Amino acid sequence: MSRGDTVGIVGAGTFGTALAVALARAARPVILYTRTPAVAEAIATTRRCPRLPDVVIPDAVRVVGDPAVLAAAARFLVVAVTSADVPARLLELGTVVDGGHLIVHAVGALAGPDDLRVSELIERSTPVLRAGVLAGPALPGDLAGGRFASMVVASTFAEVVSEARRLLNLPPALRLYGSRDLAGVELASALAGAYTVALGLADGAGVGVGPRAVLITRAVAEAGRLLECGGGVARSFGGLAGLGNLLVRSATEDDPDYRLGRALARGETTAPRTEGARAAIAGLRLAERKRIRMPLLAGLAAVLAGKASVADAARLAADTVAAEE
Amino acid sequence: MGSDRPVLEARSRLDGFNADRERVLREVERRVVERITTRAAAGGDASLEYVLNDVCVSEIKRLESGRKDASRWRDLAGRLGTMNAAALAGELRGLVSHYGKDIVGNFDPRVYRFATKVLTPGLGFLFAPMRSVRGGVGGLLDELDSRIQVEGPLELLRTMAERGTLVVTPTHSSNMDSVVIGLGLERAGLPPVTYGAGKNLFTNPFISFFMHNLGAYRVDRRLRFELYKDILKEYSTVLLESGYHSLFFPGGTRCRSNVIEPSLKLGLLGTTVTAYRNQLASGGAHKRIYVVPATINYRLVLEAETLIEDYLAETGKNRYIITDDEFSRLGRIVEFMRKILVHEGAVVIRFGRPLDPLGHDVDDDGRSIDPRGRVVDLRGYFTGADGAVVEDEQRDAEYTRLLGRRLAAAFPRESVFHATSLVARAVYDRVCASAGTRDIYRLTRLPPGREVAIADVVRGLGALRAQLAARPEAGREHARAAAAGDAALLDDAMGALATYHSHPVIERRGEQLRIGDVKLLYYYQNRLAHLPVEGGA
Repeated sequence: MSRGDTVGIVGAGTFGTALAVALARAARPVILYTRTPAVAEAIATTRRCPRLPDVVIPDAVRVVGDPAVLAAAARFLVVAVTSADVPARLLELGTVVDGGHLIVHAVGALAGPDDLRVSELIERSTPVLRAGVLAGPALPGDLAGGRFASMVVASTFAEVVSEARRLLNLPPALRLYGSRDLAGVELASALAGAYTVALGLADGAGVGVGPRAVLITRAVAEAGRLLECGGGVARSFGGLAGLGNLLVRSATEDDPDYRLGRALARGETTAPRTEGARAAIAGLRLAERKRIRMPLLAGLAAVLAGKASVADAARLAADTVAAEE
Repeated sequence: MGSDRPVLEARSRLDGFNADRERVLREVERRVVERITTRAAAGGDASLEYVLNDVCVSEIKRLESGRKDASRWRDLAGRLGTMNAAALAGELRGLVSHYGKDIVGNFDPRVYRFATKVLTPGLGFLFAPMRSVRGGVGGLLDELDSRIQVEGPLELLRTMAERGTLVVTPTHSSNMDSVVIGLGLERAGLPPVTYGAGKNLFTNPFISFFMHNLGAYRVDRRLRFELYKDILKEYSTVLLESGYHSLFFPGGTRCRSNVIEPSLKLGLLGTTVTAYRNQLASGGAHKRIYVVPATINYRLVLEAETLIEDYLAETGKNRYIITDDEFSRLGRIVEFMRKILVHEGAVVIRFGRPLDPLGHDVDDDGRSIDPRGRVVDLRGYFTGADGAVVEDEQRDAEYTRLLGRRLAAAFPRESVFHATSLVARAVYDRVCASAGTRDIYRLTRLPPGREVAIADVVRGLGALRAQLAARPEAGREHARAAAAGDAALLDDAMGALATYHSHPVIERRGEQLRIGDVKLLYYYQNRLAHLPVEGGA
């Protein structure tokens, strides 16, 4: 298999494994890197990933535990790890990749102590300049099951978008849209997780369909403000990475962010923090630095920090002045 | 590859330019004609008829707006529809040749020697005290050295100039910049560079003679059509591929407001990436290109009054070519030299460490290194899925933007602040605090003759200097300023700000400072606009 046609996936989590399965089923060359020997061992012996146990991994998915092998075998890499892991994984990757690699990430969060977009972290941690983001409402189960799913790939480099579409488009199962709004799509993807927690919270509190619709539309408005100040295009939040993500993830009890929101509504303040929860806090920090008002995110962050009850947060959001839409 | 010796003076490659000029022009013509005729096969807007029509429309508009005869272009526009492919191609070749010849530069080593060995001491004489005259030519050169100070990793740059091709990218605040940096390069033992200068600067016969013979090529900013831009870019690309050290002002035209350019227009800088890619694609010897950030820091700026007026005039913000400023008046230049350049270190040119064409740092051996200090091979950045070098204009434009970002980050770090800017900022802060606004338009509407207490200014100056000392990424004080106390710094700046401009910027009135020209005050303090206001006001 040619190096230029091979997709290298970093991280055998649910999304990375599901994408590898979908690619292999479409007879696309794919190599999956995990740094956890137990996961590599489990896949090698049982052809199942502990994080996606119901899915059989085709033999065509080559699993490796050495990032140098991955970098040598594939020019196009997809980083699919958690936001907590991504700084360390990129530093590791930085020692084995070169300027010829293209990297897209599927990390729906801001990362590191400075709340950087992951593409910024790629630029700081690796020699790779051609970077992009892969985001959207493609659930791992749908991907692995061959059901219709859509995502958007965004990069300032047209080449990254076209290569991602060449290598990852799997019609009719996975349909990939392109965008040049890298900053906007990254921020939208991160904020979608945060608003998924907020929707879980609202649903858990039983707010009803009217307030739910208001919450979603106000989320679109306030997220758009942050996207614009962050160098993106406001309407990107209305696309697959933002609204698309939000609608899908808040429609399933399987989503960890949505589950967290519902748990918080039940008063379970010690529920484990998710990517969406981290994104809410990071997004709010970013908004404060840029002096943007984000009442929904502020209310959610207050609840997550234990500084406000759900009722207080709802009041905070409702108390904001309704200006022109 | 190791740097085994200090290079005291890098070789001038421009010495051989005149003999090479015809080859350069032919190569430019060949490439532009080939590219445009290849694109024309796609038809539509790319067809030769459209390309030539674009030239005609633009030229007719330009000439007739100046009440000049445009019949040649009207005639061509009228014939385009009836011309066959061969005739259209012939017309294209003719136009490419015509504009190429209009652009092409010249370098006369004799003029260069005259300018640097004879004229320069002469300029030194113009503003040197008598003691240096008694010291002979050597003394005059020393005098000039003390007027124009050159700082930075000069030995490294001299080595890089031998190893590869330099692209010097300075900040741009005055039409004096190209003259000053030319002298600065010579004084630093760096080779002369070729650069694009606005055609309007060639109108003064004296200045035109030197510019034309010292490596400048002409850029006619009135010609807005794509064909001209194509030729200009190709000319710059071929020069770089041929190893001619070059200079671009990445901020575009002179910065009207005097801020350190935070975002760059890039312009011809993109040709650096293109030239590098072309060299890789040709498979020839690997010639490196080094982009050298530089700042030109004036104690006072010759054209400050015109520039800030232009910046603040709503209608003037889009004025691209100024033909009636102080630079067009020889008397004003002489006055500037006599009054301003008498000060030691009145102009400081500071070079930064070189970058590669994609904005990576380079190590002392000229190799590109990534943000973590690992050596990287640039070839990979230009290859496609099959490992071959691929021509991709959009990708290269992104690389140029990355380079621009790195340069914009380097400019404040490499800036050197004179007493004039430091004091102007401290005074401006006091004016704004008392007026309750930092909006210059509001400040200009306040009654004239506003005063601030000298004691407050001196206190503010101390805080400003402490802030600057704590933030090396924001720049540094001029050595002369750094050696002075706050009160002495104020005195030093007063001497400059009160004397050169047509009216004093600030004046001492007992224990108060009177603001004579808030616009110029704003202009000079803008050099430090990237430093946050203490207390976040």
